[in-house]
Amino acid sequence: MTLLIKCMYLPFSFYSRMVSPAIALAFVPLLLTLIIKYRYYFVLFYRAVLVRIWKDCVTGLSREERAFQYVLTNSTPGDPDSILDAFDYWCSKVEFISNIGPKKGKILDRLLLEQSPLTVLELGAHCGYSTVRIARALPLGARLYSIEMDQGNAAIAEKIIRLAGFDDDTVELIVNPSDEVIPRLRSDYNLERLDFVFMDHWKKCYLPDLQLLEEYGLLGKGSMIVADNMLFPGAPKFLRYLRKCGLYEWKIHRAMLEYSRGIRDGMAELIYQGIK
Amino acid sequence: MPVDTLITSENDTDIELDFAGDEDFQENHERQKHKGKRRNGDRPKNKRENQRRKRSSKSVQGIREESQSTTERRERRRRQRGKAEHETSGHQGNKGERDQTRVKTTKSKKNLKNEKTRKLEGKEDGEAQERSEKGKLKPVCAKNEEKIESGDQLKEKEKALGVKKKKKRKKVVETSSEPETSEESEDEEEVNNDGEVRPELLSPEELEKLKEAVDEKKKLIQSLRGKPWPMKQKLVTLRESQLFVEKYEGALGKGKGRKLYAYKVMMTKKWKKFQRDFENFKTACIPWEMKIKEIESHFGSSVASYFIFLRWMYGINMILFGLTFGLVMVPEALMGRPYGSIPRKTVPRAEEAGAMDFAVLWDFGGYAQYSVLFYGYYNNQRAIGWFKFRMPLSYFLVGVGTVAYSYMVVIRTMARNANESGVGDDNSFNFSWKMFTSWDYLIGNPETADNKFASITTSFKEAILEEQESRKDDNIHLTRFLRVLANFLVLCCLAGSGYLIYFVVRRSQKFALDGLENHTWWERNEVNMVMSLLGMFCPMLFDVISALENYHPRVALQWQLGRIFALFLGNLYTFIIALMDAINLKRKEEKVVKYNITMWEASLYNGTGSENSTAPPVTIHPADVPRGPCWETMVGQEFVRLIISDTMTTYITLLIGDFLRAVLVRFLNHCWCWDLEAGFPSYSEFDVSGNVLGLIFNQGMIWMGAFYAPCLPALNLLRLHVSMYLQCWAVMCCNVPQERVFKASGSNNFYMAMLLVILFLSTLPAIYTIVTIPPSFDCGPFSGKNRMFDVIQETLESDFPAWFSKVFSYASNPGLVLPFILLMVLAIYYLQSTSKSYREANVELKNKLQMQNEENKKKNKQAALKAQMDLEEARKSACQTAELQRNNNASVQRREDDEEIYNKNQRMYHVRNPSPSVGDREPHFPVRGPAPRNCHNGNHGNPRYLPGFHQQSEPRMYRVPSLERH
Repeated sequence: MTLLIKCMYLPFSFYSRMVSPAIALAFVPLLLTLIIKYRYYFVLFYRAVLVRIWKDCVTGLSREERAFQYVLTNSTPGDPDSILDAFDYWCSKVEFISNIGPKKGKILDRLLLEQSPLTVLELGAHCGYSTVRIARALPLGARLYSIEMDQGNAAIAEKIIRLAGFDDDTVELIVNPSDEVIPRLRSDYNLERLDFVFMDHWKKCYLPDLQLLEEYGLLGKGSMIVADNMLFPGAPKFLRYLRKCGLYEWKIHRAMLEYSRGIRDGMAELIYQGIK
Repeated sequence: MPVDTLITSENDTDIELDFAGDEDFQENHERQKHKGKRRNGDRPKNKRENQRRKRSSKSVQGIREESQSTTERRERRRRQRGKAEHETSGHQGNKGERDQTRVKTTKSKKNLKNEKTRKLEGKEDGEAQERSEKGKLKPVCAKNEEKIESGDQLKEKEKALGVKKKKKRKKVVETSSEPETSEESEDEEEVNNDGEVRPELLSPEELEKLKEAVDEKKKLIQSLRGKPWPMKQKLVTLRESQLFVEKYEGALGKGKGRKLYAYKVMMTKKWKKFQRDFENFKTACIPWEMKIKEIESHFGSSVASYFIFLRWMYGINMILFGLTFGLVMVPEALMGRPYGSIPRKTVPRAEEAGAMDFAVLWDFGGYAQYSVLFYGYYNNQRAIGWFKFRMPLSYFLVGVGTVAYSYMVVIRTMARNANESGVGDDNSFNFSWKMFTSWDYLIGNPETADNKFASITTSFKEAILEEQESRKDDNIHLTRFLRVLANFLVLCCLAGSGYLIYFVVRRSQKFALDGLENHTWWERNEVNMVMSLLGMFCPMLFDVISALENYHPRVALQWQLGRIFALFLGNLYTFIIALMDAINLKRKEEKVVKYNITMWEASLYNGTGSENSTAPPVTIHPADVPRGPCWETMVGQEFVRLIISDTMTTYITLLIGDFLRAVLVRFLNHCWCWDLEAGFPSYSEFDVSGNVLGLIFNQGMIWMGAFYAPCLPALNLLRLHVSMYLQCWAVMCCNVPQERVFKASGSNNFYMAMLLVILFLSTLPAIYTIVTIPPSFDCGPFSGKNRMFDVIQETLESDFPAWFSKVFSYASNPGLVLPFILLMVLAIYYLQSTSKSYREANVELKNKLQMQNEENKKKNKQAALKAQMDLEEARKSACQTAELQRNNNASVQRREDDEEIYNKNQRMYHVRNPSPSVGDREPHFPVRGPAPRNCHNGNHGNPRYLPGFHQQSEPRMYRVPSLERH
């Protein structure tokens, strides 16, 4: 036992012989600086990873299911606003899900109102927050195609969408990876042109999916593409492509990361100009 | 008839006129392009013109018999034209100065036409042509005259000169080009041909007039800036007047004078060019100027200000280095006793074994310690070398001189900067300042420009918010609380770091008592390490804390600087206190050693004496002689070590914190789960405040330690040189522009003030040690003296005549010194109070100016209102009087025509001319009249007679400008 303790202390004693404690103490300001500077990231890490793992173990449900349970009990069916509010509350106070969030959601709402698109494609429904948000802002007769890769998430998203009172005519949920669905959009769903595309799935898929959309001619002049999480976690390749290709008129709406205060994030707004 | 022949050509000339104008324009253009070689550019033109002349002369030759008549014609024509011009100028004397330029151009065109006509007239046989051709000329003339519409007296004069000038120029050109192309008879003939025109052109009156016109143009160019014209017009006027001056200036002289003048002009131009080149050369000679400019364009002036400061520091250190190296180190090394001759210049026997080890040398022990680099090596021999170099005196004076020089330079620079900063900005026009002064014009990088743009917009937003907030005034308590909290945290941090250093210093003293050899390198260098690390990390913490305070970045930078300053100062003074302790320890040791040495010497002599009293004293190798612990060398060593470790930390931080981070971010970004560039680690920004303070404290250490380690300025020079290149490179390759780029124009003096404070604080301990602690008994230039400054007294006594030392002793008498100091204090007080009163006067003047401005504005507004009313009145009255005028028309017209026209064209002219000049104007008068007048209100001082206008309406019309001119 004592040997074990000695072994445990060995590195420390070695350390103290190597470097005096005063020098180690001099590093305290650095540590403090790092902690203070990146506190939001630590908080985010805690809420999005540690709490999730803990709750997963405790409840045996997935995070999305827990969110759905909360929403189901705390919102008015058929009222998209109350569902969104319930989501926002749960995500900001209980656990963390990377929805688009209320602040960036407002930007999205505004863009949708300005554009009033008739055919909308959403990549990455996750648990239906953004789908409800978009469907809420659509004009009459518009149709939203929502693509979700994960089966479980898609089931919950379906429930949420129906709970919000949107039927099959307004929102169509497609459960498949986006890179499989996009090539078939024209043939299977009779889509000629997308007026509005919202991207919020895997950040690495932003660029390939955008290129697929271009390739299959689904974008017309004036089609708007909105991509979330441009700065955090960020999609550098996507941005680089945008800078280079010149097909789009684009800008980044700077905002904060959803349900968090100190982490900067942005939404990219692209308008397809076509080849000049 | 001859006149007709002249006229026939007009049809063609009109076309050619345009072409000529083009050519002229091209020439002008060319000339503008080759401003440097203007002289050369002129020559081809001359030739061209010459050729043209030749051609014409040829043709003239062909019809020699007619030459007489042609000249006649020409004369007449000129007269006629002059008259017409006179008329026209008398005519519409109110067109404003804008026309002045136009007139000139039309004038020149006309002249060209004149020339052309003459040419053409030769070719076409001088037979009478159809009368209808005449008609064609007249419209052209009329058009020209309409265009002319000239203005004031100045204009008139010029116009009167116009034709003559043109001819003059031609003549000049001919004569000047004559020597070049003087071979053929044709030339001579041409000269003869022109000779008919020349005499009258050369008349001194005309020259005088020409001169006047040129002078006027020059004046115009000078006063152009203040004229209330639109920019476009200004530019046009400027260009044209410059061309004019250029053209005719050369013609002013005569014969030799002209050549001399041309030579002078050429030389002035060359001189100007040379000056410009020299300026460029000087800029190129300023060290690192291009580098700094590049950085400035990428990162804004705040980062550049650091590098400029660094360069300035380098300059100062250069001089410090020159002083110490030239007057202390080199003389001692060359003329002093060589190494190994005396104990203080020899490595002691105990250290000899490891004296050349790198570790020892790196710590500045061993051979490095016993060399010119440190105080202890110097001998106290009063004069060394063949020309009796006073080494100790020089050492002392250089020590004092470096500090004095530094004081002088810093204070002078501060004063200069204070002058540059002017009256300073006041907060009364916050938004105007933001609007017109926030752009940094030195930015040359799109990314930085974007940042700057964004920061300006945010600053506007913030300013608006602030303005709103200041009215609301509810959040101020929170802000205050946060600021107090931030300061409290910073104080805690400072106290903690101070305690840590104190602790480390105590520990190191313990180690020193134990003997350093028993401890590891870490423990031996603990003090330096901890100081460097704290100096590196605490500012980062301060930076994070200062985010709480929500200051403007410039203010935040100053707070940050102040805090880091306090931190560094605390560290430095803890270090000095520790050093003082060490000095005291050494001095105790010294006493013991001194006693021991006397004992040892006594025993040595006793021993030898007992053995053999007549034998010569035993020679002992200097390495074996026991010696005292030279505290001065110890102090110097400590400072050198501190500098070295500081430099190392700076560079290593640079490499790890900036370069390695940048490399990681850049190359890991491809395979990372978030955007490293925009997100978490990102690239680092250049830390202006930390770097500036590092530099300043570094300099403070140099000032403190330079007396005991003459090598310090050299080391510092090396460090600055390296860090200039290294930091320039690091900034350009691994930093990103600050998010809030701001101008640092105000912060330069802040740096200087800190430097001054540091200078003062660093000379304080140095002076204290020099004055209070007696020098070591066996090392350094002052060994054996009671105090270091005794060297001055000694010099005074032995090297100067007796009377001088007497005078000096009188002068140093307190009875003399005290009044002198009193006088100085009084003078300072007086100067300060005068400067204060000046400042007050300045503020008062400023206020007055502002008041006046406001008053003027008010007045102008009133005047404008009044003018508007008057204008309307005038319009009404004009309408009323229009009918009256119509009755007068016929008579006015007739009179005019009589004056103007006296030859055969009379009828045509009569028919065509009135329509633009009179007939046209009358009915539209209310519409046409005011428009130009409002534009050019500056030039209508005296209303003049306008044949077409009704007399009554005039005074009213002119009241408008005269009111506005107040």
